[in-house]
Amino acid sequence: METTNIPPAAPKNFFSRVLDNPIITKELKGRMRGRQGFIIIGVYLSLISFFIFLIYLLLVLSDGLSNSDPGFLQVVGKIIFSTVVLLEFLMIGFIGPALTSGAIASERERKTIDLLKTSLLSARAIVLGKLSSAAAFLLLLVFTAIPLQSLAFFLGGVGMAEIAISTLMLVVTAIFFCALGLFFSSFTQRTLIATVYSYSSILISFILFIMLLFSIGVFDSYNSSSVSPTRFENMITVTVWVLFSTNPFFAAIMSESILIDEQSLYITTSNSFFGSATLSLLSPWIIYVALYILLTVILISLSVYFVNRPDR
Amino acid sequence: MSAIIEFKNLSKRFKTRIAVNSLNFNIESGEIFGLVGPNGAGKTTTMRMLVTLLKPDHGEIYVGGHSIRKNVNEVRRQIGFMPDSFGVYGDMTVQEYLDFFGACYKIHPAQRARLTDDLLELVDLGHRRNDMVDTLSTGLKQRLGIARVLIHDPGILVLDEPASGLDPRARVEIRELLLEVARLGKTILFSSHILADVGELCSRVGILEDGKLVALGTLEQLRAHVMPHRQVHIGLLDRRDEAQIMLQSLAGVSEVRTVDNITRVSLEVDFSGDDEALHQLLVKLLAENYPVIHFSEESNNLEEVFMRTTKGIVS
Repeated sequence: METTNIPPAAPKNFFSRVLDNPIITKELKGRMRGRQGFIIIGVYLSLISFFIFLIYLLLVLSDGLSNSDPGFLQVVGKIIFSTVVLLEFLMIGFIGPALTSGAIASERERKTIDLLKTSLLSARAIVLGKLSSAAAFLLLLVFTAIPLQSLAFFLGGVGMAEIAISTLMLVVTAIFFCALGLFFSSFTQRTLIATVYSYSSILISFILFIMLLFSIGVFDSYNSSSVSPTRFENMITVTVWVLFSTNPFFAAIMSESILIDEQSLYITTSNSFFGSATLSLLSPWIIYVALYILLTVILISLSVYFVNRPDR
Repeated sequence: MSAIIEFKNLSKRFKTRIAVNSLNFNIESGEIFGLVGPNGAGKTTTMRMLVTLLKPDHGEIYVGGHSIRKNVNEVRRQIGFMPDSFGVYGDMTVQEYLDFFGACYKIHPAQRARLTDDLLELVDLGHRRNDMVDTLSTGLKQRLGIARVLIHDPGILVLDEPASGLDPRARVEIRELLLEVARLGKTILFSSHILADVGELCSRVGILEDGKLVALGTLEQLRAHVMPHRQVHIGLLDRRDEAQIMLQSLAGVSEVRTVDNITRVSLEVDFSGDDEALHQLLVKLLAENYPVIHFSEESNNLEEVFMRTTKGIVS
């Protein structure tokens, strides 16, 4: 085995460096080589199409096929669009962790992790490679559904801003759920355990959200104070607003409702939970996107730490 | 020859158990070094520290002068590691598998393609290059594993139990392959429970027990240390008891034992003396018409050395 002199490579830009990661190539090839990838995409798009058809049919039948009121068609367009987006959130929540909860744990199960760790690949390259390939697949799902979302354009009622915001939220959510699965995978020995942890954390966060919603509802019905809220009370309102905004469904629905009611993309003037004063708050989608990007960065950093940690 | 791997006062503890206890030894460049010891002796822990998968609690290992603590990437560049049980990516072809690891070692794609061809030829897997890795037998996967550790042309191969779980033919093939790799000038450190393989392959052997190095040297040195006399096996058709008494009276013979096995009974003689003296012993037996059917000296048997060196302690 002789070594040949290879000419020094030209400086690489960020994307070339990312695509140079052998883990990405390996994972994507593996994912798309079998039938599994195509089956997931097929089932995903079929389900969304089925629901669109169902909703359209129900709306048209309930209001009569002869209804040619443009306002009615706009409502149909908006409902279809919202349903597609919410369905996508739901499916991303299911598929994302499934794609990554085995990413590192399966390397441990297959006993290939030592081979990777003793190579010149850094823990960061391993984690980012796994994340990028899973996120790429999930984003493929998000983008393949855009034509379905765009059906709403034919009916009207949906603007470019809504499409852009929903796509941004879906992209951020997709990457976050991949990072969540990867995080649990980075310190567990078994894929099954990582999967259980991932779905449990999603479930717990939803239960906590519902409990929060319920407590606020109860609190609101007893709070009849009409005096101006204190600074502390305003802080509680903001905190609760931020907590609400961590839920993708709430964030999407509220952002849409603020856009319709207040014609505002970024700010809403909302009633404080205390007293009758109003507060200017950021639209939930902004909080959601910022928070999920932050959480994703934290989860990736922790995953890198766990993969990099020498065996004990 | 100069030391390419230096273990300096190396220790590792897992909770209350001391896995490796103050190891101090060197491995010379170009040698095949065998690390043997009972289960739990610390062989795998030592190897995992060497390949930077484990951090030592105390001490240091230098690989080609580079510290495993401070120059991790340089150490990884110099070492090819094959763990005791390693998995493969079943959804890749043999060629893709090697190419993937070549990329993991940041080898240029053009060079990777050529290296892959060379290595597949070396391990005799060229005809299976387009087959999925999953379809290979255990022996062939092990050969592919050896090709993988060579992909970045490391100077040192660290192989943990490379022949475990292989059938006799595959074991012999792996042994021959390792000899071929050693001829390329590589330093090989390997552990094995198959002492016959270690005895045949290694230029030096280290015996670990309870985390400590209890013996180190060439097989001859170890044998001379633990078995200061020569051991001769003499098979007789008849007059065994008579021969035993006669042999015990001879100069240079310290002990004569009767050894029973299923097929025959023979005498085992502990003898001190040179080849000429040994020859005279045989001449005397024949001169007195003892019906000798075999007369052989125990070769440098690592198993015997191992049994006499270790006490069966597991840390």
